[in-house]
This record gives sequence, C-alpha cells and structure tokens, in this order.
Amino acid sequence: MIPQIFILSIVLFLMAKAMPGDALTGLIDPSLDPDALAAMREKLGLNNPWYVQYWDWISNAAQGDLGNSFKYKMPVTELISQRVSNTLWLALATLILTYLIAIPLGIISGRYNDTFFDRIISGYTYIGFAMPLFIFGLLMLWFFGFYLGWFPTGGSVNPRATEGVGYVLSKIYHLLLPALSMALIGVVSTVQYLRNEIIDTKQKDFIITARAKGASESRVYNRHIFRNSLLPIAAFLGFEITGLIGGTVFIESIFAYPGMGQLFIQSIVGRDFSVVIAVALLFGIASIVGALISDIILNIVDPRIRIK
Amino acid sequence: MSILEIKDLKVHYPIRGGIFRTVVDHVRAVDGVNMTIEAGQTYGLVGESGSGKTTMGRAVIGLNHISSGSIKFEGKEIGHIKGRSRFGRDIQMIFQDPYSSLNPKKRVGDIIAEPLRNFEKLSPQEEKKRVHELLEQVGLSPESFLKYPYQFSGGQRQRIGIARAIALRPKLIIADEPVSALDVSVQAQVLNFMREIQRELNLTFLFISHDLGIIRHMCDKIGIMYKGRYVEEGTANDIFESPQHIYTKRLIAAIPDIDPSHREQQVEFRRSVQEEYKEAHRRYFDENGLVYPLKPVSDTHFVALPQKG
Amino acid sequence: MKEMANANAELIQPEDYSKSPSGWRVLWRELVRDKVALVSLLFLGLIIVVVYGVSLFLDQKEVVKVDLFALYQPPSADFWLGTDYGGRDVFGQLIIGARNSITIGVVVTLLAGLIGLVVGLVAGYFGGHVDNGIMRVVDFFIILPFTMIVIIFVTIVPKYNIIQFCLIMTSFLWMSKARLIRSKTLQERELEYVQASRTLGSSNLRIMVMEVLPNLTSIIIVSMTLSLAGNIGLESGLSFLGFGFPESTPSLGTLVGYARNPQTLESRWWIWLPASLLILAMMLSINNVGQALKRATDARQRKG
Repeated sequence: MIPQIFILSIVLFLMAKAMPGDALTGLIDPSLDPDALAAMREKLGLNNPWYVQYWDWISNAAQGDLGNSFKYKMPVTELISQRVSNTLWLALATLILTYLIAIPLGIISGRYNDTFFDRIISGYTYIGFAMPLFIFGLLMLWFFGFYLGWFPTGGSVNPRATEGVGYVLSKIYHLLLPALSMALIGVVSTVQYLRNEIIDTKQKDFIITARAKGASESRVYNRHIFRNSLLPIAAFLGFEITGLIGGTVFIESIFAYPGMGQLFIQSIVGRDFSVVIAVALLFGIASIVGALISDIILNIVDPRIRIK
Repeated sequence: MSILEIKDLKVHYPIRGGIFRTVVDHVRAVDGVNMTIEAGQTYGLVGESGSGKTTMGRAVIGLNHISSGSIKFEGKEIGHIKGRSRFGRDIQMIFQDPYSSLNPKKRVGDIIAEPLRNFEKLSPQEEKKRVHELLEQVGLSPESFLKYPYQFSGGQRQRIGIARAIALRPKLIIADEPVSALDVSVQAQVLNFMREIQRELNLTFLFISHDLGIIRHMCDKIGIMYKGRYVEEGTANDIFESPQHIYTKRLIAAIPDIDPSHREQQVEFRRSVQEEYKEAHRRYFDENGLVYPLKPVSDTHFVALPQKG
Repeated sequence: MKEMANANAELIQPEDYSKSPSGWRVLWRELVRDKVALVSLLFLGLIIVVVYGVSLFLDQKEVVKVDLFALYQPPSADFWLGTDYGGRDVFGQLIIGARNSITIGVVVTLLAGLIGLVVGLVAGYFGGHVDNGIMRVVDFFIILPFTMIVIIFVTIVPKYNIIQFCLIMTSFLWMSKARLIRSKTLQERELEYVQASRTLGSSNLRIMVMEVLPNLTSIIIVSMTLSLAGNIGLESGLSFLGFGFPESTPSLGTLVGYARNPQTLESRWWIWLPASLLILAMMLSINNVGQALKRATDARQRKG
C-alpha cells in the first residue's frame, strides 16, 4: 500500500508540473517586473530539479501542508477540511441506501427467481446497468427537484438552519436526492451479483443436504444460502469507494453540492492546481485504502484467499 | 545403441515461503533416475499419481525444466539445450486427455498439419495429401479433414492425436497415459492400434501409465517409480514373474483378475502380500519413506533393496 | 496394416452431431433468436445510418455558428429541436454530436481492446515474472479513480483532436481488458493443446496467435460490445463535465452538459433531453446485444 501511494504521489506531482503555469502564475501582481519574479521563483525553489521539489512537496504534505489555493487565497488543507465532511456524509448516505435497497432486491430476485417480482427487478437492473450516472442524476434532479419540487436543487444545507436538529435535518434533506441517485445506479451490480449467487447456491449439494435433513425453507435461506452469498458483498465495500469517488465528481456538480468532487471540478476549471493535486491525492489514497480494506475483508471471510 | 539414455535426472521445484518468498525447500518430482531405452522397444514407466512418471516424460520432451542430470538422444545431449531444439521432430508426444489436447477451434486437417507446417516446407497440395495419408493410417475417414474435434468420440480423438504425433515420422514417442481417459471398451482398440503403428513405423515408445495390466500388455522393459525414484526396473518377465521389491509385489497383487474361479486364490494372495508389506515396510523404505538406490539382481533386473542387503 | 486401416475407416465414421457451429455462427444465431437483442441491433443500425447519413448533409461549422437572433428557441419547423443559448440548432448538434460520440466510442473500444489483448495474452501466456510485472502496473492503475485521472490528463494536454482524445481515454481503459484476457489465457495455457503445440515445434508467437487466440474470440467480442456502451457513456460524461471537446465540436455529452445550467434543466428540455435519451437508448441497445452475445458464449444459457 505504501509503495502504491508513493508512486501515486509521484505521478500526480509530475502531472501537476506538466500543467500550464506554476504556483506563482495566479498569485503575482502582473505589474511585477520579470527579474523580481525570477528571484521569487528561485526563493520558492521552483528552479530546483523536480525530485527536490517533489521531496519538499511530499514532506510538507505529510505534515498536513498541501500548499495554498491561489483562487480562494487560503491553505489547501483548510479548504479541503470545509468540504470533506460533506462528501463523507454523501458517501455514507449512498452506501447505506445502496445496501438498504440492494440486499432486499437481490434476495427477492434470487430466492423467487423467474417470478413476476424477479422480472421487474431484473428489468430495473438491466436499465440501471445501461444508464450513465450523470443522466440519471439529471433526470432525478429535473423530476423530483424542479418538476415536483420535493427536494432542494442545490447546496448542502439551508443557510438559515444554523444549529441543532434543524441543521441536521436540513443536511439530510439536501443530501438525500444526490445520495439516492447514486445509490439507485450503484445497486445494480450488487443486485445482479446477489441474484446470481443465490440462484447458484440454491443448487449446491450442501443446500440439498440441508433440505434433506429437514431444515425449514426459511432456515435453509437464512442460515445457509444468505450467509454464503452476503459475505462477499461485505468484502466489496472497499472497492465501492473507487466507484463512489467517480460518482461524487458527477453528482456533486449536478446537484451543486459543495463537496470534494465539486471542488475538484471547480479547481480544474479555475486552474487552481495545488487544490487539484491535493484532492486527487486524497481520492487516490482513499481508493487504495479501500482496495486494501476489501482485500483484508475477503481474507477474513474466505480462508482460501490469503494475502501474498 | 540405445536411443534414449537418461543419467541421474533430477527435476526439483522450489517451495517458497515466509515473508520474503525465499526458497525454503524443494519438491523432488524426479530425484536421480537412470533410464535406457533401446530402439524399437516399448519402455513402460509405472507409478502412482505424484510418483514423477509424467514429469520424467515431460522433461524428456522439454515441457519441464531439468534441475540436473543428462538426457541423451541417440548419443547427443538434449537436456540443457535451450529453446526449441529440445522438442525436435524425432521426439513426439501423445497426451493423456484427448479432449483438451486437441484445440477445439481448429479443424482436424489443420491439427494434423501443424507439425508439418513447422518442420516441412510442403506445398498446400502436398500437405493435404500427407494429412489424408495420415488420416487413413490411423483409420479415420477422409471427411474428418474438415471436421472439428468435438464431432469425434474419445477413441477417435486419440487417433487424431496419434496421427499428429507420427506426422513427422519421429523415432521416439512419449505416450503419457494415452488411454486412461478412454472407455475400457475403447482402450484395447487404441492400444492394439498403437502396436500396429509401432511395427509399421519402427517406433520406440516411452509408455507412461498407472495401469500395470496395460503395461504388461504393451511393454518390453518396465520401470517402477515411487516418490521420484526408481523402485525396480527390469524386463516385463523380471517384473511380473519375480518382483523383488515389496512395493512392486503389492502393485502386482492389485491387478484385477476377472476369472471368478481364481477369486479365493487371489484374495489369499493379496492378504499374504499385504502382511509381508506391513512386516517388511521399514526395511524397504528409509526414514523419509523413500526407497534406496538400485542394485542389480541380474543383468536386466535392478531393485531398490535395503543397504544391508 | 493397409487392410486394417481401411476396415477401420469404414468402422469409425465420425459421429455426426448435426452441423458444427463455429464461434461466430453460434453468436449470430443466438443474436437472431433473441427478439430483444435483434430489435436492439436493428435500432442501432438505424441510428448509425441516420446519424452518419444525415451528418453528410450537415456542415459542422454552420451548425455551431452562433446566431444571436435565435437564442433558446423552442422546437419549431425551422429548428426541429429548438436552439441553445448560442442560437445553434440542437437537432444538427445532436446528429453531429452522436456521430462524434459513436466514433470516439468505437475507436477507443477497438484500441483499448487491441492493447489489452496483446498485453493480456503476453502476460497470461508467459506467466511468471512477465506476468507479475505487468499485472502489478495494471492493478495499480485499475484501483485509481479513472474519471479524475483522465480529467487531469485532459487539462495537461493543451490542445487535442479526436485521435488524441481517443488515445488519452485508451491509455487508461486497456487495463481492464488486459486483466480479463490474461485470466482467460492463464486458463487456456493449462490445457494440453497448448503443450501439444509446443512439442510439435510451434513458436510461442504462433501458439499465442494461432492456438490460444481463436479460443478467446467469443469472450473478446462480448467484452468489447459491453465496453462499447461504457465508453460512449464515459465520453459523454467527460464532455458533460466540460472536459471533452470544445463546443465547436459537439458531442452528446456537451448537449447534456447545458443542463448544468439550472434554468436550462428546468425549462428548456429540448436542449438536453433528446441527447440524454439518445445516449440511454444507445447504451441500452448495445447492452442488449452484448448480453445476448454473452448468453451465447455460455452454453448453459443458450436458447437452443
């Protein structure tokens, strides 16, 4: 994991170097004369070889100093800490909704396969599989936000709600629609996986044995089939993080939700590269950690797989 | 002169373990085996699964690496030459599984023509003619040329495999359990056919099998392997009429006899062998459960007898 | 010997298990039998004919020319799907955008498939250190959030045309293909026909291309079909966020992207809805075809 993060940071740093302009381009008064500018560059170490600059950057980053945003004129760390909780709540709400929706649907679909409900659910996963997240998000916003007016169409909280229960409720109210949009698309793979798993497991010998022993139908499902099929889903939790990150970039822009994804897009558009790289680094680390978590859970759940 | 001469062949696989994936031990698949095959003979290699017999065969043709030792084919060392020369046209192989050993996406004509395309520059007409000859030789109809492997039964597929192996007129054929995947009713047919082909083309066979009945039917000389080492080697007569090692005796006792009038006798025989095996087991195997080096009993017969004698 | 062989030839006729279906034919047969997939295929064909046909008569420069007297026109006889904030004809943009999106999707899918095929085949066939090295790189990049990396990449490259844009997307998309092909090649490699080919003197290259590859074709076709849908979606997504092409080169995503303006989303449906529906319909159809092909490769699920 550490080497992966290390390589990621180098890649991102080199990408940042390749971007047009440097830390001074946006900062400096255009009336400043070129000599003073050059002197300032020298002082900031911008003329050093890249590995020296990289070392300066990464050792500062390790201490929590990710540089300054020239657009917002504040330390990147501070800027991110304002946004990060919004994204965390959005991600958490999405995950909870995903599992709340996916597991019952998957179980119904798998247990009663080829019934009317299964057809409906399968049809839904079919469309959901084809639906790009950003289009679904737009349709949701259009229909529930604008047409029906049931949900707010932007922001993460009502500015008038400042404290207490009202604040929390307003927060939940604001993140419900974006989270639901992501969850409804995100459930598709889990539902399909769960359905196939259950249908496969149903025909396995140990299930037939359990039935032959006289176990009741509900016991067969609850004790034998679900246990086998649900554990891998727990393990995919970590991998969901990569998907969520991709999702927040779209969903936060569509719902004007002030989180990390929106910050990322705004910074790219505003050429605020110290922010871009910091956000990308954090997201990248989150993905790597997520994959590691999945590996560990898989390892616990399935003794046949061992970390090499 | 012998066609194949193997001296002190070892094939070891490293076992890696620990945090740094260092080599902690070796699997000794083949552990110091000598073997000589005379031209025109059929040499039978017998052993239980995991005894190293298949590894031996695959090492000869070059599918497995060799840790040490030498393999001489017609007096020329082939063991350590890298690359393709080890799978020369003089040595070919018949595989165990007639289902997975034929590429399901290729037509039979292309399957049989593959070695010809690699080694001989034939015009398309010549090639087609040659493949048709081969089809006839292995007793398949000319229409087979355009068919796919799945349209054939197991025995027919094995004939295709044989046609492919003899296409280059090799001198030595390694037959790795060529009939064990087939129905018993088809086994004899294919085995007899292999003997026909052998006579016709003056082939030498290295015949690998776990079935002593088949080995007895096919082979002139026999080697019995156990855990990568030879237990006993000799002519078919030596092995079947006067087995010396307790392991060999036990294997032979296990050959089924379908004549019911011998049943009592057979049961009694097996019991006595089993008792002898129990009693003598510690004398015949060392502390690791391995057999001792071979000692000559006669000119042709070698047995892994205990050091003390 | 001769007599015996002849006698055998009469005895052993290959059993005729009806006509032998080759890989392609099975796929085609399944596709035609699956009504939904067949309709989807016809629909896709129709879209392609219309989009590429009509775009021949449209001048891209003319379509994207700003007309200040016709801002935000609702659909009319002049403008079938109205106009956008620059007074540009949405219908024309839709056709040209669809053409660009489909072209990019196809090119990216083919390129990524080709690179993934070569890398996966080499890694899977040779195994060992080669495989370890390649897969370590692939695994590393697969974990990373794809959208962000591509967005950063697109920002670094100052100016790009369609081909360069395709290359940028491809450079991050071949990896999942490589992973798939590699795992299938690893399975194939263990089958005896590969070893048989080696004993018959075939070179590694020949075995990879002539022996292993034909056994992977159906998987490649299925996976490429499904990722074609995904890639069209990705390109639209990037254009939607504004990281595709400039507005002078319309894409379906660009049209949808106008809906990031809340007023457009709320009250000017003609700008973004047709493009959204077209993307959805195309992805659904391609997926239908892909799923039917997938069923065809899995003998248990065949319709007959």
